[in-house]
Order: sequence, then C-alpha cells, then structure tokens
Amino acid sequence: MIPKPLVDELRQVVGKANVLDSAVNLQLYQYDAYLEERRPDAVVFVHSTDEVAGVVRVCNKYDVPFVPRGGGTNLSGGTIPFKGGVVIEMIRMNRILEVDRPNLRARVQPGLFNLELGTALAPLGYQYLPDPASQKAATLGGNVAENSGGPHCFKYGVTTNHVLGLTVVLPDGGVAKIGGKALDTPGYDLPGVFVGSEGTLGICTEVVVRIVRLPEGVKTMLAIYDSIEEGSETVSAIVAAGMVPATLEMMDQLVIKAVEESIHCGLPLDCATVLIIEVDGLKDDLDAQVQAIVDLCKAHGAREVRVAKDEAERALLWAGRRGAFGAVARITPSYLVCDGTVPRTALPKVLRKVSEVSKKYNLMIPNVFHAGDGNLHPLILFDWRDADQKARVMKAGMEILKLCVEMGGTISGEHGVGLEKIDAMRLVFSEADIRSQVRVKQAFDPKNLANPGKMFPLPEEVRRAA
Amino acid sequence: MQPDLAGFRGQLEKIVGAEHVGVGPTATVKFSVDGVVPGLVVRPGTQDEVSKALAACADANAAVVPWGGGTVMGLGNRPRRADVAMTLDRLDRIVEFDAANLCVTVEAGVKLAALEATLAEKKEILPLDPPADAKVTAGGLVAANLSGPFRLLYGTARDWVLGMRVALPDGERVHCGGKVIKNVSGYDMNKLFIGSLGTLGIITEVTFKLLPLPATRAGVVGLFPDLAQATGVVRKTLESVLLPEALELLDPEAVTLLAPRLGLEAPAGAYGLAVALAGSRDTVERQVRDFSSLFRDAGGRVTPLPDGRTVLAWDAIRNVFGFLPVPPSARVLCKIAVPISRTGELFAAACALGRRHGLHAAVTAHAGSGIVWACYLLGPKAPPEEVLADALEGLRREAEHAEGSLVVQDAPGSLKARVDAWGKARDGFDVMKRLKAEFDPRGVCNPGRFLGGL
Repeated sequence: MIPKPLVDELRQVVGKANVLDSAVNLQLYQYDAYLEERRPDAVVFVHSTDEVAGVVRVCNKYDVPFVPRGGGTNLSGGTIPFKGGVVIEMIRMNRILEVDRPNLRARVQPGLFNLELGTALAPLGYQYLPDPASQKAATLGGNVAENSGGPHCFKYGVTTNHVLGLTVVLPDGGVAKIGGKALDTPGYDLPGVFVGSEGTLGICTEVVVRIVRLPEGVKTMLAIYDSIEEGSETVSAIVAAGMVPATLEMMDQLVIKAVEESIHCGLPLDCATVLIIEVDGLKDDLDAQVQAIVDLCKAHGAREVRVAKDEAERALLWAGRRGAFGAVARITPSYLVCDGTVPRTALPKVLRKVSEVSKKYNLMIPNVFHAGDGNLHPLILFDWRDADQKARVMKAGMEILKLCVEMGGTISGEHGVGLEKIDAMRLVFSEADIRSQVRVKQAFDPKNLANPGKMFPLPEEVRRAA
Repeated sequence: MQPDLAGFRGQLEKIVGAEHVGVGPTATVKFSVDGVVPGLVVRPGTQDEVSKALAACADANAAVVPWGGGTVMGLGNRPRRADVAMTLDRLDRIVEFDAANLCVTVEAGVKLAALEATLAEKKEILPLDPPADAKVTAGGLVAANLSGPFRLLYGTARDWVLGMRVALPDGERVHCGGKVIKNVSGYDMNKLFIGSLGTLGIITEVTFKLLPLPATRAGVVGLFPDLAQATGVVRKTLESVLLPEALELLDPEAVTLLAPRLGLEAPAGAYGLAVALAGSRDTVERQVRDFSSLFRDAGGRVTPLPDGRTVLAWDAIRNVFGFLPVPPSARVLCKIAVPISRTGELFAAACALGRRHGLHAAVTAHAGSGIVWACYLLGPKAPPEEVLADALEGLRREAEHAEGSLVVQDAPGSLKARVDAWGKARDGFDVMKRLKAEFDPRGVCNPGRFLGGL
C-alpha cells in the first residue's frame, strides 16, 4: 500500500479527477497482453511533461515505484506494476506537435497511436516507417519503450533507427531533451540507450522521429505453399539473390485458417503456409522485381503466387496479416506469443523443432512471423483456466527460446523482456553482460523506482542465497 | 597521482609479451595525442589480452588511450592524461562472415578496406564510408562513430552494428547485442558504446549487418554559379521520391580539388552538388535522368561521372580534405550538424568565416543529412589564435541557434585550449557523468577527451 499523503499530492499535481485509486478502477490496470497480473496502488492520467515530472517527483519523495503505460498492448508484461506503485497513463498525451517536412521530422507526444501518425502523414505524402502489427492500439511512447519492430524491419530497421530525439522525465523527476532534429549530438547516444529500455530508465514525453516520403510504388505478393520448408527456404533464396524486399512475412496453416474465418481475405485453407512479400521504391523496376520473386517462389515449390492488383487487394492481404494475433484468439481463450529470433537461414530448422515442441507438450502452436528478420512468433495456445496446460505452456515457451539461442539467435526480437523473459536473459547473456546493463540502470535510476522488477534477473549469488 | 609505469611495465609484458610493449621516444612519440606523449605503448594480440592489459592499467591507475587506425586522433579535447597507448592493430581477424545471413563479425583492428575486400567476394557491402578506409579500423569506426556521404541513404554505425564485445576497465568482458537484425533482449548496449570514443571501455569485436552489393552504381555532378541554385536542388530532391545514396555539396575550393579526379571542367567559383545512385539499372538510369534535369532546370552544368569510375570518384569526394597541401596538425577541421533545412545556411556561414579571415578553406556538406564539414588551413597569414577561436565560437553559436552543434575534429593543441572541441555539455550530461562513473570509476579510459571532460 502507498501512503495516503502521496495520493493527495498526486491529486495536487494532476487534479482530482485524474487520479484513480478505487479497487474496481485499479483492476483495469493490472494486466496487459501478457499473462501475469499485478494491481497498482494508483493510476494517474497525465497531460504534459510538467505533470509527468510532477508525478515522478512525488513518487520519488515517497520512494514509490512508477510504471508508464500507453496502449497496454505489451506482450511481455512490461506495463504490469510488478512492485505496485503508480501507473502513469500516457494515453492523453496524444497530439502530433509538428510535422516538419523540410527537416523530414515529426514531433509527437507518446500517447499517440502509431497508426494515427501514419494516417496523418500519408495525405502529405510521408510516412513513419516502423509499423508494428498492433499499430492501431500501440502508442509511440510504447514503441519507444519496447524498440518495436513490425513487418517492415528487414529493409527499414526498427524504432531506434527512426527516433532521433526525446524529451524524457528521468527517474528523479528531472527533465532532459536528448538528441533532437539534428543528427550526431555530442556525447553518449542517450536516445539510443533509452529506446528499448522498457520504462526502466524514465518516461519519454515527446518524441522526434524521422519521416520519409511514401515510396513511389509498392507491390504486394502472396505466395502459397504446400510445405512450410519450401516457404522458409524461399525467404533465404530471395535474400541470396541480392534483393531487399520491404516485407517477408509468413503464416502457417493454423493461422491462415483462423485469419480466414475472422477476416475473409481470400487465403486458401488447404495450403501449408503463405508468404506475404512486398517490394517498394522507385516504380521503374518494381515489375521486374516482382517477376524475379515470383520465379524464385515457384522454383522453390510455391503452387501459386498472387500479385495484388490494386490497393484494395493489398489492404486485404495486410488486414489478414495484421489481424493474425486477434484471429488466433478464436481457437483458444489464451495464448503465449513467443518472440525468438534466429539467423534467417535457420528458419526451416527452427520451425521443425517448434513442431516437435508442440507434439512434446501436446499444445497447438500456430506460427506467424517476420521471416525476413528471422523473427518467429509461435503462438502457444491454451486455456488459462487449466493450470496444468499453463505450466506446460511456460515450459514449451522456454524451450523454444532455448532453440532460438542455440541457433545463434536471441530471446526477444521485438516484444521485450519485461516479466516474461527475465529468466531467459541468462540464455544469451553472461553475468558480466547483465551487470553491465544493470550499471546503465544504476546511472539513470539509482533508487530503482522506474518500472522495477523488469528485464534483469537477480544476480546469481543473490538468487542462490534466497 | 602519477602511476608507476616502470613498475607495471613488467606486468604488461607478461600479458602481451615483451616484444609488444614499447617504451622510449622512438616507440611512443608517434602515439602522442595533441602533444601528450604516452609513457608506454602496448599491442595486445587477442581480445583477452586487451581485457587483461586494460585491467592492469586500471589497477595501476594508468590512463589508456586506445588506437585504431589513428585517422581521427585529433577528435576531442586534449587528453587529461595518456599513460599507455593501446594499439589494436594485431586484432585483425575476421571472426565470422555469414554471407547467407548478411552479417560479419570482426576484431576491432580489422581495416575497413580489408573488410570491404572480403565482403566483395560474396557481393556484399557494409555501407559505412568514412574517409581513409584503408586505415580506419572497425573498432575506430564504431568508437568514433565515423561516417561519410553515403549516410544519407544508409545511416551510420548505430544502424549497422548488431553486436559487439567490449573490455571494461575492471577486467570484465561484455557482449552486447548479437547477430540477428531484431534484438530487444535487454538494453541496447551497442548504442552506449558507439561514439563513446573509448571512454567507457575498449571495443574488441564488432558484428555488422550487411547489404547485397547494388547491381549498378552511377553518379552525376552539377556545377552551379550560385550556392542557392545547388541548395535549391537539394530541397527539391528531399521533397521528391528519389533515393540517392549521397548528396554532397561542394564549395568552389572543393570543386577545384576534385575537378581533375572527377573529370570536371569547372568554371572558377562554381559550387558543386555530387549525387551517388545505386540499384537496378532501370532505377539508376532513371535517377541519372531526373537529376540531370533537376540540375539543368536550376541553371547548373551536368557532368555524369564516367562509367566504372564511380567508386573511385566517391573515394576522392569523401577524402577531399586530404588533397589540401597540409598535415592535419596545420588545419582546423570542424563538423557542424544541424536540422537538414539549415544546411545551406551553415554551409554559407562556414564559407564566409574563411573569407572573412583570409583563410584558405574547403567546405563540403552531406546536404541531405544536415552535416557540414569545414576545413581551414593555418598558414602564416592566418589570424591570431584568439581571433580564430572567437570566429569558431561564433560559427558554433550559429549552429546551436539552429538546434545543432559544432565539433572541432582537428586543431592545433594551442587552439583547442581556447575552443572546446564539443561545445558546452547540455541536457542529460548528469546521466552521462554517472554512466562514466559506473563503467570507468577511476577515469582511466581516454580521460579528458570527450564531451565535458569525460
């Protein structure tokens, strides 16, 4: 429990109506898209950098933890207030402050949904490139905290490649503008360190992003396969041919079925896998690129390759892909999304192993993933009411992460460590590696108030003593 | 407190072998930084030796200056101390080239040109293009965050480093990132070390993401009587869907230096805009056409770079200051970074500074990225240092007024004493100080050279 005067002081900072502390309200903020739940002691709605700084200073005064929250779409438990304390809800700081075309930058508040920025920029002929599948409900502040990816990373990189400046409220309540519209700010790359820090180094209250012109042309293809190996081998073949498509996405049969039943986008139900491939850029060679890719797909066993004829067909293909996570919820009440990443050429092997894990634990594991990036999303399906199933799910998830690491990959490509993968950190990092990351935490947040209990395992020795 | 170098020389010799520890002026003077001569030079042969040698230095409280290719040793302020120069030239192994997965892992001392040659065998590239790639090492490229004209399309080290290994002064060896292109396992530690100039530890190994070699490359140069015509083309390019690799703005002196190397017939006083293009033949030819019309419409003269000579031409462009007839110690080289639309303004201001003070100067800009490079020669006719210092501070104020910065990369030590290399530390500096204290509590890693004396 937090002290009563703290809640009063929070009310002084943001106004009475912007602090929630009744049990029923708090319950709504005790979960995100991961499986754990933990109730906060208070929820505060903030509207400005000053308010965020004020709230953080109050938390600091009482040594109470705080957790920033955006759309609550996090898949690793990043927004769950693991040690209680104050959830700082950023969703009302949702304005586009500036679209600065001459400088190819936009300045936005963190509560803005990713898709809203895209929607605002498109009529001007511009785009912000990172577009996680959850873009309708995920905020840019959340994207910054998680260093979000999405389906266009193979060609265009992830959030950190497109965030150039931040206004941050540090864990002591101080405000700092780091980076900015210009590149190469002298000193350490603090925005680079902050992006992907999962709310553990402070709270960003303003984001300067790079915007770019919409490409002159885009072509989207759907390649249909009777074997999942052939699909994943095609991915490596396209890259080996020297091509850099904007997108190389895969969905397997279970996902296709769920998507088709919920979205009706015309996917064949009898195939093993589909690849969604998109090329973009100057229009002069797009047809030639499409032809080369169609030929490669067919050479690697695709039974059919459809090329979207117009924007409507393209949108339908994307609706299917972006709706995949939601559609899978039709099959079972719950699922755990794994987020391992492997070098691209290991995809066929890791997919075989995932299907072995599925058999071993007797769990359905559909796959939808960013094949070009080697970023897998096996979805382990289960019913949360069944404790035995849940235990098997956790074991199966860990086994899949181990497989990814054994093949030269890592434990999270884009969903973050959060609560979910704290134990898995040791699969990829030594104690010294982890200590070096804790040093960064220490430099930003010596009192460990910003989203505590996330990302880092306790040092091995502490754990043994406990 | 001065460390007892004689005392721990034996210790270093045990770690790296006596033949790899140098003492005395013949060994050490060439490793001086801004006139500060190290007492010892140590040449570790493995990453483990780097770690042990660094830890031994830290134990002895000896300040360590890491050396790669030595191409940007002028970057930063004069070192507070430099007891040991640690050269990484023996760490020259390519650890793993995974061509199928477009990534390569190299030791810190691998020369960029050697790496490029290896990658070329599999038709792949690392599209980072600092000057002097024959000398620049992978570790130096990353530690000093070096870049070149191609950053317009490809970005900088922060966009291409997937992983690294770093030796910390307390003897710990840490691994950051990995070899996959999406990785959010823990903090993005790569970003902390990129551009940290060896002040937090010594980078011993780097994993880079790669690209397939473009099928076709071409270049076009426009020559313009007025700067405004060239910057107008830059603005139109950035508003267009065109995707050049580089947009390099050249002042008349840079044009003169490059003319024989690029096959340009340049009228006196002409400004240049060089464009690099890559991709399929169709897109490259189309962009050559489009840029040629943009240049002509703006009143410029168009010179296509000769077929098959584009790579050499860009090599000349990125090394243009090397054609000036003085060593780095007799010049002032500044990098100005501003929001893109202010590039022309700062470019003009940098040119004007030279004219105002009668300095022989060359100025270029990565015009689509907001980066201006100004090189001033310090001949006998140069103004007194206090005047020059005031002029540079004035230029810095203009850059800062435009929400940017000015960094002095090369300058004589006496001038550096008057002009801080980085400018005043700004927001976030307290966090930087705490980061430095966490990683290098004794302050032995390249002390004094970085922002705010870190």
